[in-house]
Amino acid sequence: MSRPRKRSTASLLVPAWLRSWARRHAYSFLSSLGSISRQPLASFMTIAMLAITLSLPAGLYVTLDNIGRAGHGWERLDSISIFMDESQGREKAIQLASLVSTWPTVSAVDLISPEKGMAELAGRLQLDDVAGEIASNPLPWVLEVTLAAGEDVRLVATRLEDVEGVDQVIVDLQWLDRLQAIVALLRKMAALLAVLFALAVMFVIGNTVRMEINNRHQEIRVLALIGATDGFVRRPFLYSGLWYGLAGGVLAWLLTELGLLLLAGPVERLSASYAGTFALSSLPAGVVALFAGGSGLLGIIGAWLVVERHLKSIHPE
Amino acid sequence: MSEPLIRFEQVAKRYPGGVHALEEIDLQLTAGEMVFLTGHSGAGKSTLLKLVALLERPSRGRVLFAGRNVGQLSRRHIPGLRRRIGIVFQDHALLAERRVFDNVALPLVIAGTAFPEIRRRVRAALDQVGLLDKERVYPGMLSAGQQQRVGVARAIVARPSLLLADEPTGNLDPALSAELMRLFMRLNEQGMTILIASHDLTLIRRLGRRVLVLDKGRLIDDVSAAQVGA
Repeated sequence: MSRPRKRSTASLLVPAWLRSWARRHAYSFLSSLGSISRQPLASFMTIAMLAITLSLPAGLYVTLDNIGRAGHGWERLDSISIFMDESQGREKAIQLASLVSTWPTVSAVDLISPEKGMAELAGRLQLDDVAGEIASNPLPWVLEVTLAAGEDVRLVATRLEDVEGVDQVIVDLQWLDRLQAIVALLRKMAALLAVLFALAVMFVIGNTVRMEINNRHQEIRVLALIGATDGFVRRPFLYSGLWYGLAGGVLAWLLTELGLLLLAGPVERLSASYAGTFALSSLPAGVVALFAGGSGLLGIIGAWLVVERHLKSIHPE
Repeated sequence: MSEPLIRFEQVAKRYPGGVHALEEIDLQLTAGEMVFLTGHSGAGKSTLLKLVALLERPSRGRVLFAGRNVGQLSRRHIPGLRRRIGIVFQDHALLAERRVFDNVALPLVIAGTAFPEIRRRVRAALDQVGLLDKERVYPGMLSAGQQQRVGVARAIVARPSLLLADEPTGNLDPALSAELMRLFMRLNEQGMTILIASHDLTLIRRLGRRVLVLDKGRLIDDVSAAQVGA
């Protein structure tokens, strides 16, 4: 008489259907890895193509992100030029400089006398001789105001305009506005490109899976004949799509990081030449996870579309 | 009388293009029977097997498997019913890049069977067909007869209630054909219902089992085992 076989603790705790489901998934999981590893060159080429395709939107994203961060710094570096009324003399200019420098929104105030202003202007225009020949200096007293970090330059400028003795307040934010408009446009373009590249990823993976299906046509036929469900036939290909997408996404991220590493030095030197401390930043971890996960999902969708089409062709009407 | 395992009621099958493969077929197979299906090439043997194996749907009439009308089954219900049928193909339909063990294990893998159970049942099936020592080799390294026996092992490993064989001896010499038939007889003695399509009349007569004769898509004769033996 045969003894009843011992059942493991796991088999007692986990329902039979769940164990069967897990085993079928394990089979599909290993089967997909096996088919990718059996064709290492073709698999690598697909992953490399996906990585290059994905690194373009990733690179654009990281570029725009860095420009955006740099833009905040540039806004802080902006100074406000206050032109005093011509009738106001040195005493009033010093008085105003003392007043403005007490504002918490202001970090520094430089006072420029009409003489110093004329000397700077003559120097810039290379008109040293002409400056000496002008009988009376037409330039007013000027205050160069540097704002505290994070302050809104427009608000401070408006407040300065209302101060007595101030003739004109000049803030040159036009170039920054233009830059922000360009960045906004590039962000839209990046979103559009991301959609196009997502479609490209789906088609590349779909095509790779289609070729894999052609190679495994006999296996699929046999599986269907001996009672495999559509899910069982489909699953290894969905896993393949997931692996291709994930691997392409991760490799694209690595390519982007490599690009950032190569550009970090030149960017820091450029920033230092403007007395800045700007440094390129990498893709945030959340974005990397979203990026790799998204490309994996695209891989699954691409594979699903192709497998579904094939499954329809092998079933009786 | 026991419920028939398979019943055909006025079954007709027409393929696109107007080819009439089967016409007005009425038949039934009882559980535990071993039946031969014979006829000339193009008589409709393969089509009839495909209808039983749920690989085709009838154009008209009803095909019932264990009382269920297979013509009305949805796509998702077919695999479950198909797993109750073992199929032996004339071309063996083995996967060349997988070892004999893995080929035979496929129906159990599909069913989500635990590996220790798979190992036990695959070895039992290979032992039954006399190929236990070949479990590690690839099908391409086996003779045609051995490959056919691997196909039989795969068909019986999940203990189906019905075994279908389409010209299983078509590529085998008389000695191997006889050996394979002895294997089918043994399986039938163990209670498995078997339907074999074959045009080898000598072999069929020698075995003395029920024979269905098809001609031009029509069932023209149903010869009982007693009549064959007589």
